[in-house]
Amino acid sequence: MAELSRLRNIGISAHIDSGKTTLTERILFYTNRIHRIHEVRGKDDVGATMDFMELEKERGITIASAATHAEWAGHQINIIDTPGHVDFTIEVERSLRVLDGAVLVLCGVAGVQSQSMTVDRQMRRYKVPRLAFGNKLDRSGANPQRVTQQLCDKLKHNAVMMQLPIGLESKYEGVIDLVTMKAIYFDGENGEKIRIEEIPDAMQSDAEMARETMLDAVSLFSDELTEAILEERVTEELIHEAVRRGTISQDLTPVFLGSAYKNKGVQPLLDAVTRYLPNPTEVENTGVDLSNDEAPIVLASDPNKPLVALAFKLEDGRYGQLTYLRVYQGRLARGSSIVNSRTKKRHKVGRLGRMHASEMEEIDEALAGDIVAMFGIDCASGDTFTDESIDVAMSSMHVPAPVISLSIKPKDTKAQDNMGKALGRFVREDPTFHAGVDPESGETVISGMGELHLDVYVERMKREYNAEVETGAPQVAYRETISRRAEFHTTHKKQTGGSGQFGQVVGYIEPLEGGAFEFVNEVRGGNIPTEYIPSVEKGFASMMAKGRLIGFPVNGVRVVLQDGKSHSVDSSDNAFQAAGRKAFRETYAKAKPVVLEPVMKLEVESPTEFQGAILKTVMQRRGTVVGTTEEDGFCRLEAEVPLSEMFGYATDLRSCTQGKAEFSMEFARYVRVPQEVQDELKKIHGSKVVDEDED
Amino acid sequence: MKRRFLNARSPLRLLEKGLHGGLGPGNLGVVIAGHGVGKTSFLVGVAVDELLRDGRVLHVSCSHPVTHVRAHYDVVFEELAQQKHLENVAAIHREIDRHRSIRVYPPNTLTPEKLRDAVKLEAETGGAPTLIVLEGLDLTTQSRGDVEDLRSLARELEAEIWLEATCDHERQVTVPDGVAALDGELSVILALEPGDEAVRLRALKDHDNPNLSDLHVALDPSTLLLVRS
Repeated sequence: MAELSRLRNIGISAHIDSGKTTLTERILFYTNRIHRIHEVRGKDDVGATMDFMELEKERGITIASAATHAEWAGHQINIIDTPGHVDFTIEVERSLRVLDGAVLVLCGVAGVQSQSMTVDRQMRRYKVPRLAFGNKLDRSGANPQRVTQQLCDKLKHNAVMMQLPIGLESKYEGVIDLVTMKAIYFDGENGEKIRIEEIPDAMQSDAEMARETMLDAVSLFSDELTEAILEERVTEELIHEAVRRGTISQDLTPVFLGSAYKNKGVQPLLDAVTRYLPNPTEVENTGVDLSNDEAPIVLASDPNKPLVALAFKLEDGRYGQLTYLRVYQGRLARGSSIVNSRTKKRHKVGRLGRMHASEMEEIDEALAGDIVAMFGIDCASGDTFTDESIDVAMSSMHVPAPVISLSIKPKDTKAQDNMGKALGRFVREDPTFHAGVDPESGETVISGMGELHLDVYVERMKREYNAEVETGAPQVAYRETISRRAEFHTTHKKQTGGSGQFGQVVGYIEPLEGGAFEFVNEVRGGNIPTEYIPSVEKGFASMMAKGRLIGFPVNGVRVVLQDGKSHSVDSSDNAFQAAGRKAFRETYAKAKPVVLEPVMKLEVESPTEFQGAILKTVMQRRGTVVGTTEEDGFCRLEAEVPLSEMFGYATDLRSCTQGKAEFSMEFARYVRVPQEVQDELKKIHGSKVVDEDED
Repeated sequence: MKRRFLNARSPLRLLEKGLHGGLGPGNLGVVIAGHGVGKTSFLVGVAVDELLRDGRVLHVSCSHPVTHVRAHYDVVFEELAQQKHLENVAAIHREIDRHRSIRVYPPNTLTPEKLRDAVKLEAETGGAPTLIVLEGLDLTTQSRGDVEDLRSLARELEAEIWLEATCDHERQVTVPDGVAALDGELSVILALEPGDEAVRLRALKDHDNPNLSDLHVALDPSTLLLVRS
């Protein structure tokens, strides 16, 4: 285990197809972790090493984050390869949670794309310092200056080019390092032989100007460097130190250039990772103290303090269940005893390993700051482990609620068993993926963050678990809520021989902004005995699971209980629960219930000439255009569109833009549906709402 | 408060009165102020008023991304709705979102042709704007030909177009030379001047009226709302 100052936990994030998996492949090659390069969609049929799931190899995209370990210039680097598609953002978010720094890969041609913006927002949320890598400079239309400018304009970074390209497109040869003022070329079959030369004469003055711009930007972070510039005694160390400070404080984004596919520019990027991204001790991590009312607690990257480790990813691989852990504090040793903060269950640590994509290297212990894989311990993603001497959990991750569901049916008995196993695994691996049985239809229903998200799990069931399933039509997760206050004065009374049931409740229900359910007790004078107040709450709360309009869950209701009556013999917990249920049934319609639907934030990028056609696709789908940005012949349209209208959008968009547009989508919020849509939904789902619950 | 009362009592009605009927369809207006005094807030205030009166707004920004411009509208509308206890807020908010279009161009890339294309697209997909706000496009840097073209566009659409210009003197705004040179094309020129408590709005030109009235309207810097003064 290296000392902490020589450890880096980094992620590689970007828009889909920006080449981050290709970049990771090169990093593994140059750090001697693999001995042959395989392309993502290469002719050799092997696929990139990091895309180790079968499905990823076939589709050429990265779905799960594979953690891998590399060594460069005396530094240990843990790399998490993160997916680029927006449907898998929980993977990106989880990775960012445990990272200390990241490389933002940008396509040198397309620049900052919609997904880069989503990823950047996530990085900001988790305060991850980043370097940018302008990739694909060998492609036609590559323009690194524009990429850097877009980082400033679109993402509001203080981006500064640390290199200049030597040639571009098919003439792309290498880079000029603006710190050393040398030209770097990448020779050999795989660019592994670095050749350092003097800057070509024709580029000397451009390089000097670019260095001046770089020094101007960087000197803001170091008075020493400013002085040195004035006194003309600038050293490489002074520049590195200033860039490092600016990067770690997230006030500066140094930009590096290359073409991973053509094996150019990767080694200087690795140097930059070790030079400018923080080590674990330079990042503040906080957890919550469960023994002190969840007060925030700062964790120290100190191996001698009590253990705190976060399970950020689970995987079912060739070595059995794998749990990826980030050790934030203390040490995790083979054979030691650890406790899950959520379940309070004690576990003995078995094998520990460092993962290199799907290969593993066994280790005996992991110290604060490290990322390791642990075997055979049953837990959920997001669980915290401690050594029992402290009761701490890492602050909860932001997990969005699922917005779409799909019924699935196994094709045969064998598939039935395997499907159960697969779903159990997926639910534990991915907090945004849910699975359950619809009590009415008896069908298994899976829910998640988008069509593709669910598609991928259906495919994985087939490939990894041999469970072939038939799927139903996708179902949007509607909600119901009330739109006005309504009063109740309800008596539940039953006399069927033996002791009867009696409970009376008086109060009102009203809309609750920004919450699911709230119960307020304002009963004075003991008209309802204290022990029955929770019964009334339980009665009301039970009605939230299924609304009486279209049968979807009810959100945003405050119940205020003001008065009531009880009977010394006939009142009971059951009687008051029934009174609560009856009161809700009687009052709900008076409170003017409405249907809410998930609305997605949609971003579409295309050449400008298609913007009219794209606008129409949004209008036809009950969408609201937020705005349009036009730049360099391209436009980016931002809109909000109901999820229910987005099925099959990819096909429609492709056909109206000759395949030249791309889109990304993420959940924005729940919004009330128009009356005509509500009427339509009532026709479709109204039959699900039956009065089966007469008390 | 009901929407129609809010509209009737809006400080913008005072502004219209002070300007003998307001900017009016087919005309160009400009607001002049120092950096950071509140030109964008004034323009958004005018646009929100137009939206609340069932108008359609095209907001063109050459200085901020879409999300920033939208956030500015949200802040102004929500503050207004809260202060005036506006009824049916969510539905009105949705409606004004639908009737407002934001278009962003990088600095120095907006041309009259692009603006015409944008207006045409609006007319085809939603409806032609009744008010166009050009924010972040400093009028002092525009050629006379471009401004004449803008005026023609305003007339063709029978829309109002509001622009902005920056001046050096924050407290005693004078018409910058670049704007003075375009005098014939501009119907209304307003100045925003920071005072002790609010940013005062003062008329520098009101169509062909030689007597400039007090406007009795100011910008509240804490809420970004236009208020009576």
